[in-house]
Amino acid sequence: MNEVTYIGEGIGWQTAGNAFIFLSFVASLFAAYCYFNSANNDELENGPWKKLGRIGFWLHSLGVIGIMTTLFCMIFRHMYQYHYVWEYSNDAMPRRYTLACFWGGQEGSFLLWTFWQVVLGNVLIRTAKKWEAPVMTVISVAQVFLASMLLGFYIFGWKNPIGSNPFTLLKDTPGFAGSPIFSTPNYASMLAKTATGLNPLLQNYWMTIHPPTLFLGFASTVVPFAYAIAGLWKKKYGEWQLDALPWTFFGIMILGTGILMGGAWAYESLSFGGFWAWDPVENASLIPWLTYVGAGHVMIVHKARKNSALSTFLFPIITFILVLYSTFLTRSGILGNTSVHAFTDLGLSGQLLIYLFFFIILSTILVIMNWKGIPRDKQEEDLWSREFWMFLGALVLLMSCIQIVATTSIPVTAKLFGFLSRHTPVFKESLAKLANQAPPVDRIGFYNKWQIPFAILVLLILSFSLYFKFKNTDMKQLIRQMTLPFICSVAFTVCSVLMLNETNGFYIALLAMSWFAVCENFYYWVKNKKTNFLKGGASFAHVGFALVMMGALISTSKKDVISVNTSKKSVKSIDESFSDATNIRMDQGDTLRMGDYYVTYTGKHRVGKNILYNIEYLTKNIETKKYTSQFTLTPLIQLNPQMGNVAEPSTRHFWSKDIYTHITYADPNSLKDENKGSEYVLPRTSALTVGDKIYSSRDTIILSSLDSHIDLKKYGLKEGDIVVGAVMKVIDSTGKIYTAEPVYVISGNEVRSIDDTLSKLGLEFSFSKIDPKTHKIDIAVSEAKKVAKDYIVMEAIIFPYINVLWIGCLIMILGTTLAIRQRILKSREAKAGNTSLNEIKA
Amino acid sequence: MKKTHIVALIVIAIAFGVILTSLSNNSTYASFKEASDHPGNVYHVVGKLDKSKPFEYDAHVNANLFTFYLIDRDGSERKVSLGKPEPDDFEKSDQIVVIGKAQDGNCFSAADVLMKCPSKYTVDSIPSQKKQSSM
Repeated sequence: MNEVTYIGEGIGWQTAGNAFIFLSFVASLFAAYCYFNSANNDELENGPWKKLGRIGFWLHSLGVIGIMTTLFCMIFRHMYQYHYVWEYSNDAMPRRYTLACFWGGQEGSFLLWTFWQVVLGNVLIRTAKKWEAPVMTVISVAQVFLASMLLGFYIFGWKNPIGSNPFTLLKDTPGFAGSPIFSTPNYASMLAKTATGLNPLLQNYWMTIHPPTLFLGFASTVVPFAYAIAGLWKKKYGEWQLDALPWTFFGIMILGTGILMGGAWAYESLSFGGFWAWDPVENASLIPWLTYVGAGHVMIVHKARKNSALSTFLFPIITFILVLYSTFLTRSGILGNTSVHAFTDLGLSGQLLIYLFFFIILSTILVIMNWKGIPRDKQEEDLWSREFWMFLGALVLLMSCIQIVATTSIPVTAKLFGFLSRHTPVFKESLAKLANQAPPVDRIGFYNKWQIPFAILVLLILSFSLYFKFKNTDMKQLIRQMTLPFICSVAFTVCSVLMLNETNGFYIALLAMSWFAVCENFYYWVKNKKTNFLKGGASFAHVGFALVMMGALISTSKKDVISVNTSKKSVKSIDESFSDATNIRMDQGDTLRMGDYYVTYTGKHRVGKNILYNIEYLTKNIETKKYTSQFTLTPLIQLNPQMGNVAEPSTRHFWSKDIYTHITYADPNSLKDENKGSEYVLPRTSALTVGDKIYSSRDTIILSSLDSHIDLKKYGLKEGDIVVGAVMKVIDSTGKIYTAEPVYVISGNEVRSIDDTLSKLGLEFSFSKIDPKTHKIDIAVSEAKKVAKDYIVMEAIIFPYINVLWIGCLIMILGTTLAIRQRILKSREAKAGNTSLNEIKA
Repeated sequence: MKKTHIVALIVIAIAFGVILTSLSNNSTYASFKEASDHPGNVYHVVGKLDKSKPFEYDAHVNANLFTFYLIDRDGSERKVSLGKPEPDDFEKSDQIVVIGKAQDGNCFSAADVLMKCPSKYTVDSIPSQKKQSSM
């Protein structure tokens, strides 16, 4: 076979991209080495190793930005000869999704993660001062691992390369290599039509903002982790927490926002039927956040009281390790059978495990080595102290996290047990049994059952912990302060339980605790912070969290599926676990009662790739029996022949409830292209004079008149064309009358018919001939093979008070932001205090 | 004993309990035969769609019922009823997990199905291009 010289492959881009990948990898190794030496050897504040380390990290930053720019330009220029571009973008996609394409794949999202760590690293170079060398060593090592994910080198004859290179040509990608198209020299220009493009589920503006936020959150966990490792390494157990605190709360805020954005996305445009489905991938983002919040709070305890030092090391370490573990879960393909949106395996599992275990082993060794050195609390914390309860709160969060990790990890543990049962001589049977473990059947119910008690405990603790003082509290004063908000919360709880008709004891307890937390924290801000907005961080964050819990509880426990199956054949006869109250069929024009509404499917129209279904919600006046239209929802189905059609719900928002409408099934015939539409049987031609009657299989057809006053413009005809229309009256079986008007056109030498269709009846009329002798005209009538009304199967759910949840989210984000500001100010004050103290001493 | 020790012990006890229960309380993967032997228990059954037999969904009869035939890994086949509309692209999936329990008369009622679709990004997607490029 001859070597083919390819045209237009743009190999220069690949070379540049690979050069940047190489630079970023080598420079991060170099930075790690120099910073390591600096941390160990440099006596001076700005020693030579530290300077080299900085240069290394800057070069690394340059490499990372270079990779990103190259990849971005390649997507923007539609260079489909590259696998990444081919797989995640295509010509049909609007330009505004270029960024979404960029991080649509694994490599791109690793890049995003790397990029955020580069940004954080550069800020730390400027701000970390004496902690720079050890902290940056840890970050540089993390960057080495992340950079290696993109290498794509084959070494030692391994089957899989190290890393997955985003600059691989399609023709070099396993699975594509050898395809005959690559024997064409200019194949690069032919690929545009086959490019798959971003999964239609991801073609959404949330895809532009959710991943960067979430990955900044993930990336930020490396900072407190690096500080903790630095503290252990340099055996300075009590100083780093002050510097790490603002970072920690920054991370909590960003990661929290990222998670909530994911929920909002799922609620608004994915078809989960809710904002949180306890999907393994969703859980993977929540797991580190729980311990992250714990980390922030134990650091506050430590700052105030200089105790609980051990936990200030453990929580950030666990958080970072959980981020790595989550990454492993979502990207190794191990969740494949259990999650709807895990990444597929790219052969990076081994590398991810090495990354994970490197840091697990490193942290464990460092903690063990310093076990004796880390100062322990000399005296016991008082039961009536803020630190005791904050610490306890952090532990409850850890418990909640452990439960989620344990259940989400079932595919992992099953694999482990399977491996053990094959390789150990004992307990083979019971191990094999464990290897068959499947995730919980009723996933949402299972997690809710477990997590509600944890939520109750957390809310209880955060209701009163602010009223406690560090060290010890005057209980009399505390009770006096807490009484008024307590009474309010009891009143609110009673009202809301009655209003919602809530009967489940756990739900009532959670509702009561949410109200308690809202009232107490709000009152604390009014009373103790004198309604000073800037000082309200902690109170607001707590109020927000409580509102999120309250909104989640009410909107899920009281969610009302109003699309009840009314057909006589109940699915309950097949299995009592099947529910009739989910999906309902609606023929076009039907009006069905759903909850307080009467709902009509009025029709559909097509916009680009989307078919929008008009679902009209009406109310009926009992006295006049008249229907009034309230609003129309347009859930849609996006046609995507390559990846399968995607349905997007539509929701009407009221202040007290949301009405969610989702198409779960659409008539397959209606999804085909309009012009291919329904198929007609061969036409039957009849010669008619005005007044003649013919019959189709269902309807009566009458030629009522001939019409020579035809609007030429309407049909795009010229002046001088000879035009006659035949007005056809059609009476259907119910006596309803329709008219159609096929038109006969003579323009010059050409004779043709402009057909008319009555799609509702499945009739097509063609005016094919005028016989001047008999004055009869020929009308051809075609009938659709099957006249089926267009129908949809839809689901309608009312989510009551879901706005409480979104308002809670905003308040929580606001509160955490204020808390970060406060922490930065306090940390500056403390440092200024220390310096002035030192000056006095000197 | 310090309060923190007591707290630590409680925490460890709860953690242990949580992990044990979440490991023992769940459904397991099984074959149709095993599911038939224990009617009433909920199982995950992994299998392949029998494409030679009909899979039926008629919204006019019942919008919440979809039936199909599944061959499990041991090769035995059952008629499966799913209490939901037919999922999109159902016939394209190469591996299906059904979650539910055995019913009388060689039937299986599934509360949910998970589909694993074949990778869409393989050499298969190129041949359509071959035709176009030869034109």
